[in-house]
Amino acid sequence: MTLRWKYSRYFLIVIVAALFAAPILGTNPLSKPGLQQTLAVAFVFGALALTYDLLFGFTGLLSFGHALFFASGLYLTCIFINHSVFVWWIAIIASILLTSLLAFLVGAASLRTTGITFAMVTLAFGEAGHVIVNRNFFGLTGGENGIALNAELIPQIWVGVVNTKYLYWSALICLILTYLIIWWVTESSAGRVFAALRDNEMRVQVLGLNTRNFKLLSFVIAGALAGLLGSMMLLLAGSAAPRFAESNITIALLLMVILGGAVTRWGAVVGGIAYSFLTTRMQDLTQNGLFAGLPKYVSGPLSEPAFLLGIVFILVVMFAPGGLSGAYYKLRLRSISKKYSSSK
Amino acid sequence: MSTFLLMTITGIGLGALYFLVASGLTLIYGLMGVLNFAHGAFLSIGAFVGLWFATSIMKEATIPNFILAMIVGGLAAGFFALLMEQLLITRLYDRHIDQVLVTVGVALVVGAVLGGWFGNDLRLFPTPLWFLTGINFFGAIIPADRIIYIATAVGLLIGNWALLRFTRIGLIIRAGVENRNMVNALGINVRRAFSTVFFLGGFAAGIGGVLVSVYSSGVSPLIAGTYLIYGFVVVVIGGMGSVTGSFVAAMLIGVIKQFANYYVTGLGDFVIALLLAGVLLVRPQGLFGKRIS
Repeated sequence: MTLRWKYSRYFLIVIVAALFAAPILGTNPLSKPGLQQTLAVAFVFGALALTYDLLFGFTGLLSFGHALFFASGLYLTCIFINHSVFVWWIAIIASILLTSLLAFLVGAASLRTTGITFAMVTLAFGEAGHVIVNRNFFGLTGGENGIALNAELIPQIWVGVVNTKYLYWSALICLILTYLIIWWVTESSAGRVFAALRDNEMRVQVLGLNTRNFKLLSFVIAGALAGLLGSMMLLLAGSAAPRFAESNITIALLLMVILGGAVTRWGAVVGGIAYSFLTTRMQDLTQNGLFAGLPKYVSGPLSEPAFLLGIVFILVVMFAPGGLSGAYYKLRLRSISKKYSSSK
Repeated sequence: MSTFLLMTITGIGLGALYFLVASGLTLIYGLMGVLNFAHGAFLSIGAFVGLWFATSIMKEATIPNFILAMIVGGLAAGFFALLMEQLLITRLYDRHIDQVLVTVGVALVVGAVLGGWFGNDLRLFPTPLWFLTGINFFGAIIPADRIIYIATAVGLLIGNWALLRFTRIGLIIRAGVENRNMVNALGINVRRAFSTVFFLGGFAAGIGGVLVSVYSSGVSPLIAGTYLIYGFVVVVIGGMGSVTGSFVAAMLIGVIKQFANYYVTGLGDFVIALLLAGVLLVRPQGLFGKRIS
């Protein structure tokens, strides 16, 4: 099986190389730990949006419980490390395996339903996860405050502000790894079945394939990768908190994928990075009094990132369903067809 | 025995709140196939308009004033629902996933506007004193506000039933839930039924919002989320499109949650998740749902 290039190879290599080199190349914005941290978080969300694209865009499963697996990777890794159950890297692998098992169980139950019911059921399971970490059963999850990661038990290159660049590189590697895996999955023969399921489930059934098993496979792959990204997020945030298990995370992922454009892979990644980066920056800007001159009934909603995002989101869904990458391909198609018609 | 009675009745009171959210969700889904994430926003709008009415227009917290505030909150949420349906949902005819996404967007925007205007802290809702008293019911002291929740839910169930059973629009709605294309083919405009259902769903959710703000002793844009999720769970367990199913499931969930929380604090939500998984394994279409072919 060969992986097909759909975009400019050199462009991608230059961007990735620049992102890798930026923290150590003289003085540029990326040599400051603050921006490195913000971007590292954005990389994790870009990758997470990509795993959500596998579910929603490629397989057509509208899941509202994806945050469950992100949080499961995050919390399990933290618990394993803090209680010295495993060394850090075994802890990460163990948490990914357990998250896959959780995704298998949740998926097996929820996939008995389809379409909109599936969305509601996954939402309920995701929320159950949020409630469980919030309740602090057996003192494991620390309740509302979450648990801080014991920094002495992880490699010291990931600890301290001076070392933020290593976290940045690790997050970038996680993003690339996720991208390669999803690329491979979606271009594999199983990936073809996923797309067929999205487009016409009945026809896949007629071909004699077990549709539920394929959906479950997609669900488990996306869940396992979300678990890995949860572990990465734990290193970045330094603690596991219930906010990572909220259904708001899943809704944010949905926004990232829709705004960036589903089924193009790079659309979800760009959407995720931009969303995460911009919401972080916007909070900084509003705290610095960007809307200070405006009356409160205008500035209040404007200072909530969800307000503008929600409006843009509604407009994109109604008038530009392909999102950013969809618009790009539409433009390119138009320019190609224009060239073709003028040469004739 | 009195503890058992107390737990059952407070559980039913909680279930009544869930039913107010779920009744609209289930009808909207049954008729239009729309999973309405903005239902939580209807709840918040009802609560805030009710709060505004109860504090600025009505100065005293008496029971008639409270009921009036409840109706005003319900109407506000109902008209907002109607507006959303007319402006956004009807334009996405038969694009079900996009309709869901648009309601997610509306939920975000409403949440942000309310959060920006009023902040996310709890605001006290003026509650009639009678609500805080206890009523002796066969030896169990029941908080009086639960009686109001249950009475409202039962009233709404009866009202819903009467509307669906005895009016022409109710007939169209019932027929539409059964087979929308056939109703369309008979030359009946189903769109009007859509709008009615959205208005009624918003109305019920708005009333629910006012009651929820009494139950959680305050109004905040953040409260709606929990009730929305419980609304979804109720709809799935009760069966999509079935109002009776929602009523039964809501009561069941309220009572089970109350008992589970009584024996182990915080166990309630977990037990409900297990119940949901169990129902899905045994009856994926829900207790009162039609078999999906």
